[in-house]
Amino acid sequence: MSLPTVTTDEIDPGKLRWRRPRLRLGRWSAPLGIAGAAVALIWILVAVFAPLIEPHDPLAQNLPILQAPGHGTFMGTDELGRDVFSRVLSGASVTIPLSLLLVVMSVLIGAALGSIAGFFGRWVDELIMRITDLVMAFPTVILAMVIAAALGASLFNAVLAALIVSWPSYARLTRGLVLSLRQSNYVVSGQLLGFSALRSLWRDIAPNILGPILVLASLDIGTAILLLSGLSFLGLGAKPPTAEWGSMVSDAVQNFDSWWLGLFPGLAILTVVVAFNFIGDALRDALDPKSNTLRGGGLTL
Amino acid sequence: MVYRSAKTRIAIGSAVVALALVVTGCSSGKTTGSNSAAKTITIDKAFDLKTADPGRMYEPTGELVDKALYETLLTFKGGDVSKVVPGLATLTQSADAKTFTLTLTGTHKFSDGSAITADDVVFSLDRVIGVKGNPSFLLDGVTVTKQDAKTVVLTTKTATPALPAILANPALGILNSKVVKAHGGTTTDKDAAEKYLNTHSAGSGPYILSSLNLASQVVLTANKNYDGSDKPTYTRVVIQNVEGPTQKINVQGGSADVALDLSGTQATGLSGSVNVTSDPSANVIFLLLNQNPKISKITSNPSFVKAVKEAIDYSDLVSIAGKGTSQAPGVVPSMFLGALGASDALKTDATAAKADLAKSGYKGQSVTLNFPSDITLNGIEFPTIAQRIQSQLKAVGITINLAPAPVATELDAYRNGTENIGLWYWGPDYPDPSDYLVFTPGNVVGLRAGWSATADAGISSLAAAATVGGTDTERAAQFEALQKALNTSGPFIPLLQPGNNIAAKSTVTGVVYNSVWTIDIAALGKK
Amino acid sequence: MTSSPASGAVRTGKPARTAPAAHPFVRYAVRRVITSILLVIGVTLVTFVLTNLVPGDPVAAALGQRAAEDPTIVAHFRAEYGLDKPLVLQYFTYLGNLVHGNLGVSTTTHNPVASDLAKALPATLEIAIGAIVLSVIIGVVLGTVAAYRRGKVSDHVLRVVSLAGLSVPTFWLALVLYYVFYFKLHIAPGSGRLSSDFNTPHTVTGLYTIDALLAGQLDTFFDALSHLFLPVLVLTLYTVGLLTRFVRTAVLEILDQDYVRAARAKGLPTRTVVWSYVLRGASIPVLTVVGLAFGSLLSGTVLVESIFSWPGIGSYAYQAASHLDLPGVMGVGLLIGVMYLLVNLIVDLLYGILDPRVRIA
Repeated sequence: MSLPTVTTDEIDPGKLRWRRPRLRLGRWSAPLGIAGAAVALIWILVAVFAPLIEPHDPLAQNLPILQAPGHGTFMGTDELGRDVFSRVLSGASVTIPLSLLLVVMSVLIGAALGSIAGFFGRWVDELIMRITDLVMAFPTVILAMVIAAALGASLFNAVLAALIVSWPSYARLTRGLVLSLRQSNYVVSGQLLGFSALRSLWRDIAPNILGPILVLASLDIGTAILLLSGLSFLGLGAKPPTAEWGSMVSDAVQNFDSWWLGLFPGLAILTVVVAFNFIGDALRDALDPKSNTLRGGGLTL
Repeated sequence: MVYRSAKTRIAIGSAVVALALVVTGCSSGKTTGSNSAAKTITIDKAFDLKTADPGRMYEPTGELVDKALYETLLTFKGGDVSKVVPGLATLTQSADAKTFTLTLTGTHKFSDGSAITADDVVFSLDRVIGVKGNPSFLLDGVTVTKQDAKTVVLTTKTATPALPAILANPALGILNSKVVKAHGGTTTDKDAAEKYLNTHSAGSGPYILSSLNLASQVVLTANKNYDGSDKPTYTRVVIQNVEGPTQKINVQGGSADVALDLSGTQATGLSGSVNVTSDPSANVIFLLLNQNPKISKITSNPSFVKAVKEAIDYSDLVSIAGKGTSQAPGVVPSMFLGALGASDALKTDATAAKADLAKSGYKGQSVTLNFPSDITLNGIEFPTIAQRIQSQLKAVGITINLAPAPVATELDAYRNGTENIGLWYWGPDYPDPSDYLVFTPGNVVGLRAGWSATADAGISSLAAAATVGGTDTERAAQFEALQKALNTSGPFIPLLQPGNNIAAKSTVTGVVYNSVWTIDIAALGKK
Repeated sequence: MTSSPASGAVRTGKPARTAPAAHPFVRYAVRRVITSILLVIGVTLVTFVLTNLVPGDPVAAALGQRAAEDPTIVAHFRAEYGLDKPLVLQYFTYLGNLVHGNLGVSTTTHNPVASDLAKALPATLEIAIGAIVLSVIIGVVLGTVAAYRRGKVSDHVLRVVSLAGLSVPTFWLALVLYYVFYFKLHIAPGSGRLSSDFNTPHTVTGLYTIDALLAGQLDTFFDALSHLFLPVLVLTLYTVGLLTRFVRTAVLEILDQDYVRAARAKGLPTRTVVWSYVLRGASIPVLTVVGLAFGSLLSGTVLVESIFSWPGIGSYAYQAASHLDLPGVMGVGLLIGVMYLLVNLIVDLLYGILDPRVRIA
């Protein structure tokens, strides 16, 4: 997880402009993207309607403990007699909204700081970029782990820790894009006409840099899910009795024989992340016809 | 291209030659090798190891290791910790339990062949006191004097009936003073011998330390100069750091001979070539409800405390914990002097709980339950127990908010007495009920529950009586009375006495659980 | 975290500085090294501040239940580890010691942090290097195949596979593989670096496989190798996805170059074209991603080492963080920060050598 979002700098700022998405989808990336979107949609629906479709209360401890799938349950029961299937469904409503929130917040903060750095340059630029360097001098999981440990275990703190480590990639990308547009004729002429910095950024620059940022963001949702569940796996995220996929896998480590405890939440993480990555991949193909030659495939580990 | 592939060929050729050289010159890295006399036993333990230096060690893994490396003046036989037997010395005790005379038997030698003298005893015990390490408190208020070459006298200002049991702790193992002094050992906090004692041992135990890595493994080899009764069968011991769930797989799969930290549920599924020994451990898991109204108006209400005691379904907790676990009858574990019988334990009564709850004026406010999230005690996970309690209390209308934190963080709140409800355990410092006087008003754990010295005069007077001591029968009666009063009106709720499950390959004999040092490695045999 | 090519690409936008005193590459290298040193100091500051934010008290964590009740023992402990001094002073003392290679003494293990890390690092390097080597081999092969078969079914299958590889939660994969290969199939050995009936080979490099070979103990070598199998496999699957996509794009770019087109048009055998033109040309971008993947492996080890009881940096980091062992956490943070910066610095400098455009900017 948490890999360096390679993409950031790999997207050549000079070549990327926001064009109306010409949906020249590759023969295969489109079906994959659509499949991904379908799976993601199903999971989002599950997240929204979880309380309605759970066969049992995900917190109720009223079933026999550590029962294998079958015997009236679809995915067995855990060490406290809770229904694993209901908990996996319930986990969607914990992880998916938080990951989306995390990505949106990272984009907003990163893009804002990146634009400021790129547009104003000088010491503002230096300051912001040195901070991003500093954050990026650590592998994400390790930095997030230390921050989450310092803040205390809770989902909120885990999101905060993840936010601290994930905004810099957007700041860098945005800065690069803004920098390349800053010198372009229409921005310069706008400046000469006396437009304010804010107007230049908002009217002339923002629409042109949205595409690459969206691509990075869509590819980052999967990373966010992996990072949050990883922190919960380490005991630094969700608190019991919350049904969270990462902490469910961590419970499974304690009850190794009961394979169903870990298998299903892990598969849930896998399917959601794959779905969002397929979407991101297809989106990149669609938004940038040259995407195939973009170094790096933009994925984060 | 031609040149290149020629180069490749040369490279491959030389690699083959190099490999051939390696193969012909190869030896074995196996420890057992062809020598059938050498036997290795592999023990899986979830490490909490901090040091192998007896003067600083006070963790279960350290006790296990130091029991094999060092001998103590007095000791226990097998798993019976209610009776102290002679070790390196025999004991004569004064009637007021203030003077203890220890005479060396003179039959044992250190691993370098030198004799054990009274000077070694004085040095070792003074060093424990002087280095101010974790076990120093064991000898609080004890003065050690040498009487002659074979005799040492321990004196205390107050009656200390528990001292003989304390002397059996491997932390008070006797060191070879000459060797330790040569490596920076002193009896003050300037002592610098820990480093040496983490790479070598300097004792008279059945094993010597071969290597130690606090994070992964400890290797012991048989002490050739050992002439005690505990002569080891296995000449090499590997104690490796493995978490409970993996231990089960290892002992089934054959990569471990003994697994020490199985949970009840894990132990239930074992059979065939693996034998499981289940004994109650001496640990007691309990809840504390803070009696300080400044911390919580709710938990300091006696009716609320009573309601919680009645609301908890103890047998259900036992069933979650699995094999070997029983309800703790009182704060003193069942195998110690003065423990309560099962009939005196707290009982579940949901109707009474609801009535008491109404009496307390509780209106469904959320009460925080703090617990260490990373403690696994005898395979029982604290988060599991906490979640079960939350669910049980919900049934009678009490709303619990769970607040887990790593033990390192949570200990602070526990020690400062700022937790509303806390879920903790007490492991005995020595197998004597006087260790449990901490659960009384104004004492260490009492204060953690916001229970000031003046809070409960009745219990304080029972505690005062138990401090003085007397014959075993008198002491038993004193502690039983104290615990009954604690169960009725104290802020503690004894929950579980976890079972200790040890799994061993059926070829391994002599697995006996001891609540102080888990198992005596030297006593393990081979079928 | 993006790194190097990044800094290169980003800096292109900046107006070139004047005063070409030294050789441009020397200036470039000096600037990068100085930035790295400043970053290292920043890294120590960040870890120091973070570890002191932790609400717990290291004394409570390090001392036993009873010992922490005794004020003289607590005072002694604080003095011994310098915890009684003001924070700012503690930080500067730490920096001062750092210059002499002294990272302080861990409050959990009571050993010098430097020697703890020296023991843990080879364990992590052994799986990390194994994973890097394996994923470069697999990634280059799969990536080249995908590029050559661009748009064909195999290309798309590889796309799905590599995307899936990037989407697997490593901690879960480690658990599943351990369950299947060790618990059910008994193919893989148990946890740890070596079976318990083997002695640790005489330490030369700290990598058990190499040390065993140097000592001529083949059985130890194979045992160590078998223990590497699962952890390396987990981390490999995790980086292969990234590398495959990277190599594919790099190879596609090269195939588009005139000299490669010319070589292919001349009818040179595919094997020759691939080996002597394509892979050589693609080696620079691949090098970059290897640098990046190394950082991801370090992250991955935190999650994977706990499952395999692997006594490496990841386990050490987790143990230190959960015991509030300040010197331990700072040591790990520093080591990882430095390694990460070093790898990126090397990649950057190689970039500077191989691609003159970067240093001119």
